[in-house]
Amino acid sequence: MKNKLSFLKISSVFITLLISIPMITIFVYLFISNTDNWQHIKDTVLFEYIYNTLFVMIGVGVLTTLIGFTTAYLTSFYTFSFSKFFDYGLILPFAFPTYIIAFMYNGMFGITGNITTWVLNLMDKNLSEVVFFDIQSVQGAILVISLVLYPYVYLVCRTYLNFESASIIDAAKTFNLSSWKILKKVVLPISRPAIIAGATLAMMEATADFGVMQYFGVNTFVTGIFKVWEGMGSIEDASKLASMLMTFLFILIILEKFQRRNKVYKSSGKDFRPIVKTKLTGSSNFFASFICFIPVFFGFILPFIQLSVWFIQSYKTVIDDEFIDLLVKTVQLGLMSATAITIIALLIVYNARLNKDKTSSSLTQIVKLGYSIPGAVVAIGILSFFGILNTYVFEVLSLDFIISGTVIAVLFGYIVRFMAVSINNFESGFNRIPQSYDDAAQISGIGKFKTFVKVFIPLLKSSAAASFIIVFIEVVKELPLTMVLRPFDYNTLAIRAFELNEQSQTVESSVPSMFIVIIGIISVLLLIKNMKKAQDAKY
Amino acid sequence: MFKKLLLSVAVLSSSLLANDVVNVYSSRHYDTDKIIHKMFEEKTGIKVKVIQDKADALIKRMQSEGKNSPADVFITVDAARIQRVKENNLFQSIESEYLTKNIDSKLRDKDNEWFALTKRARVIAVRRDSPLANGIKTYEELADPKYKNQIMVRSSSNVYNQSLMAAMIAHHGVEYATKWAKGIVANMARAPKGSDRDQAKAVAAGLGSTAIMNTYYFGKLAVSNESDKEVVSKLKVIFPKFENGGTHVNISAAGVTKTSKNKENAIKYIEFLLSKEAQEVYSKGNFEYPILKEAQTAPLVAAWGKVQDDSVTINDLGKYNKDAVKALDVAGWK
Repeated sequence: MKNKLSFLKISSVFITLLISIPMITIFVYLFISNTDNWQHIKDTVLFEYIYNTLFVMIGVGVLTTLIGFTTAYLTSFYTFSFSKFFDYGLILPFAFPTYIIAFMYNGMFGITGNITTWVLNLMDKNLSEVVFFDIQSVQGAILVISLVLYPYVYLVCRTYLNFESASIIDAAKTFNLSSWKILKKVVLPISRPAIIAGATLAMMEATADFGVMQYFGVNTFVTGIFKVWEGMGSIEDASKLASMLMTFLFILIILEKFQRRNKVYKSSGKDFRPIVKTKLTGSSNFFASFICFIPVFFGFILPFIQLSVWFIQSYKTVIDDEFIDLLVKTVQLGLMSATAITIIALLIVYNARLNKDKTSSSLTQIVKLGYSIPGAVVAIGILSFFGILNTYVFEVLSLDFIISGTVIAVLFGYIVRFMAVSINNFESGFNRIPQSYDDAAQISGIGKFKTFVKVFIPLLKSSAAASFIIVFIEVVKELPLTMVLRPFDYNTLAIRAFELNEQSQTVESSVPSMFIVIIGIISVLLLIKNMKKAQDAKY
Repeated sequence: MFKKLLLSVAVLSSSLLANDVVNVYSSRHYDTDKIIHKMFEEKTGIKVKVIQDKADALIKRMQSEGKNSPADVFITVDAARIQRVKENNLFQSIESEYLTKNIDSKLRDKDNEWFALTKRARVIAVRRDSPLANGIKTYEELADPKYKNQIMVRSSSNVYNQSLMAAMIAHHGVEYATKWAKGIVANMARAPKGSDRDQAKAVAAGLGSTAIMNTYYFGKLAVSNESDKEVVSKLKVIFPKFENGGTHVNISAAGVTKTSKNKENAIKYIEFLLSKEAQEVYSKGNFEYPILKEAQTAPLVAAWGKVQDDSVTINDLGKYNKDAVKALDVAGWK
């Protein structure tokens, strides 16, 4: 048995090392740079990068928390008109990639957008005569990104509130506290770890965003990385910027983990009971429905309408045989990577649960880091790693062989980039399984491997399904990493949308975008079904 | 097991090295290029395999692949980038009588490592009803305070602005160019964002009167939907010149990679890209200027007027690109 255990640990260490290599190659540049370029960056743009990145992080953190937590609270504790729909409808915006929602919002509310133009015509004014909110700004970017990413906070908070809080709330109720006081004194403090866990993911994704920032003209670390790389031709200084960003986010992940470890409230498992929801009537009924409607409307319905209008205008010219081929390739890539990532994450998290030592728990934190690095930077790291392999292995052995440009390279990129999403799912899944289960299995003499197969895997089915679906959506939406590492003549929906948009065919780019969103919606619906099943199983 | 896996992937990847192919790394992402590839395949039976990405990512990819790189041809969409490929020692010199005879020496590398495929001019689109903007003759005067709140232009991370700035440095030196860029920043109608096309739309809608943009985008707008056509109807293209030169043009260019395994096919392919039939597809489909003299410019493009190319060489654009990026940062051009 001991052998199997050490096998698990060794393989976890090996996999983590492999996943970390691209990040390490970038991190090395923290200490190397071209002095001239670096001095210039420090003197001119570095402060702006830091300021904007922090502004976006904080803005997205606050806004996703506000929307995600409020809606999770309302749907967990109350029933109101359409609350059954909102329960799950609130997840739908997650189907949109951030860059597509940015195109849609600029198409509607940009200075030359449909809605802006319509309002200006109505007022009989032109642009120079009216002052209005410019969506292509740092505030606009925060708004647009938050509309897509708030489901992270919503999902974590909802799961947490539904599974963990009933007994505490019941206790609070016996003190005859008002709903408002219960919210303030009990629900908010106990939800803090869940809120921070969700908001951290949203903030990491926002920080790594390139598409929206570039399109909206916001200079952040990520746009800076590309400007330095492409403009100055300096991969060293670009990597130095990337490694600074990585270090900062690593500190954030550690802090998040630290606060969760100390503050998390966990039910012991056996005293679980569902929350008894209060029925709202009158104005509070209307108010609750209205609050939940806002994010669904702006995060999903409105951009979906815009997307549909453009889709109808252009689908005939875009859909051809080649299009079907890239649709199939996109789905294949999503399925393959979701399977690989889910299996690897499960191994790593299970190792951390069994071996409660510092190494095992840090391994899970290290592999999460990939999520904070922009896809194209992950790709630079991977290419550097492959470069070393090519020079010191394949060329030495005279093997006429390269890894870049194979599907394996693309999959490796996704594993580095999206492991965090899957690990977070399994961590919360494992957290819900009381330690007593491990102990009971150990006392009854079932081996740890058998415990894993017979006890944990059935209990983790819904976490595995959630991980699979979320990674699948992420891969379908992913753009830069796929572009850098893909094989010849290999295209995906996201790349096609990018190509068309680069050719000024924004309307036509809605066709691949629509398919990405539809695949996203189907996945979200499956996720919802999975959540429902998990909840029913708990009851 | 590992060896087996390696071998099976090696077999897969070796199919890319078969004789009847040409493997292209391209930073052009246009549907017209796909049409041209099909024409080449039909004519020669040589299969064109493409990886499209940004030039710098492709450079990094080739460097990482080393001797085993499958790339035969590298195509970029900007002068500074093609120079960067050369500086990184990734091209080889090729001999082609057709290319040296038909391509102007200013539009190919002195060592025959790369050849221009198409040209685009960086022009200004002005609103027809704006008397102020209609008089613009030079790039230099765009920095004149009389154009305050009039200029719309995309960000300095865009390579076309970097090349324009590099040309300004080549003409006047870094100090003057930085001052010029500061003047442009002071004259901007709003902070830079969006694409060239977005600048044109905003000018047509009344924000500012002058958009700095590439001819290619103007053509795309002209054949797009009704609202874009309306935008075009409100605008006029002006070809500004440098005070001591001509209109700034940028190029797409191609070269054969140093490690090419299909060199003969690669040369045939580049020769085809510079044939009359392919050059006319570039112009008609993508509104670019052909390089080959006997190829006809698309009527829509020709209707905007004649371009007198600037005297600054492609080498200069590459040479000053880094200085341009730095000067744009110093000037506060976002």
